[in-house]
Amino acid sequence: MRNKSGQISIMIVCLILGIMLAVQFKNTQNSDLHLRGARSDELLFTLNNVTQERDSLAREVISLREKIASVQNNNDATAGIQDELKKANMAAGLLAVEGPGVVVTLNDSTRTVQVDEDPNSYIIHDKDILRVVNELKAAGAEAISVNNERIIAMSEIRCAGTTILVNSNKIGPPFIIRAIGDPQILESGLAIKGGIVEELKYYSLQVQIQKNDRVEIPAYGSAVKFNFSKPKKQ
Amino acid sequence: MWLLTFFCLLIGVLIGFQLPILLPVIYVKYMSIGVLAALDSVFGGIRAYMEDSFDNIIFISGFVTNTLLAAGLAYLGDRLGLELYLAAVIVFGSRLFQNLGIIRRYLLKKY
Repeated sequence: MRNKSGQISIMIVCLILGIMLAVQFKNTQNSDLHLRGARSDELLFTLNNVTQERDSLAREVISLREKIASVQNNNDATAGIQDELKKANMAAGLLAVEGPGVVVTLNDSTRTVQVDEDPNSYIIHDKDILRVVNELKAAGAEAISVNNERIIAMSEIRCAGTTILVNSNKIGPPFIIRAIGDPQILESGLAIKGGIVEELKYYSLQVQIQKNDRVEIPAYGSAVKFNFSKPKKQ
Repeated sequence: MWLLTFFCLLIGVLIGFQLPILLPVIYVKYMSIGVLAALDSVFGGIRAYMEDSFDNIIFISGFVTNTLLAAGLAYLGDRLGLELYLAAVIVFGSRLFQNLGIIRRYLLKKY
């Protein structure tokens, strides 16, 4: 009799165990991990496609711009307008430019991080670049590029995960910021006491400022699109 | 009788797959420890049954408390930042093998 009830309870417990096993099995199968893996593969594929598309479009933009320039050059009557246009393009960052200026190189600290220190203090962040660019603008820079990405009016400098995006392109250290302007003023603007360079050096980040007689800055690589704004009617 | 027990396990698995229950990911770990404890209890019960020292109350209460304790230990370990669930894994794992060995010996002796 005791054995009979024992059998029944073992059966019931086995039933419960079966349910638990199945639920657990289902869970580990549907676990987030698998989903995430599949999703990241898919996203990587899409990213590669889009990156290729972007590169080919960027080449197209530059060749089309050259075509426009050559058409305009053939017409003498519009010489005045061309001059205007060239200036406007330069201001918009659509022309590669050169001139005297500075080259600022920023890099992460080579110091080994101690146990009680925050490793984030020893790497270059988006806001460090942003502040250097801002300082250069304040010191009268006429054209600025960060790792060959031309800074235009709509450019962003933004942290995205472990990389920094400029003009939606990923850039990584070392960050080379080129600026055209009066080299002396640009340099002293950056190196001012209590300024950005002093602060970066305090965290033992690598900062180099090089004055240069000839700094080349590339044109903005993508198309400038206006989806929402249009000229105001007079 | 053992066939019936196995059949019950199968039915349980089927019911479990049909149930629309999906545990949140954070609880999966606790559930897996619970499953391990339950497995241990079942094997312990079968062993005791074979040794003729089976006690219904001990079996059922052992099943419930072991499962809850194991899951609770894992939870406590997470709160403390200590991998306490490893203790449950080791204890239940080694006991599982022990029980399995004894059951095997009994079966071999019997047939």
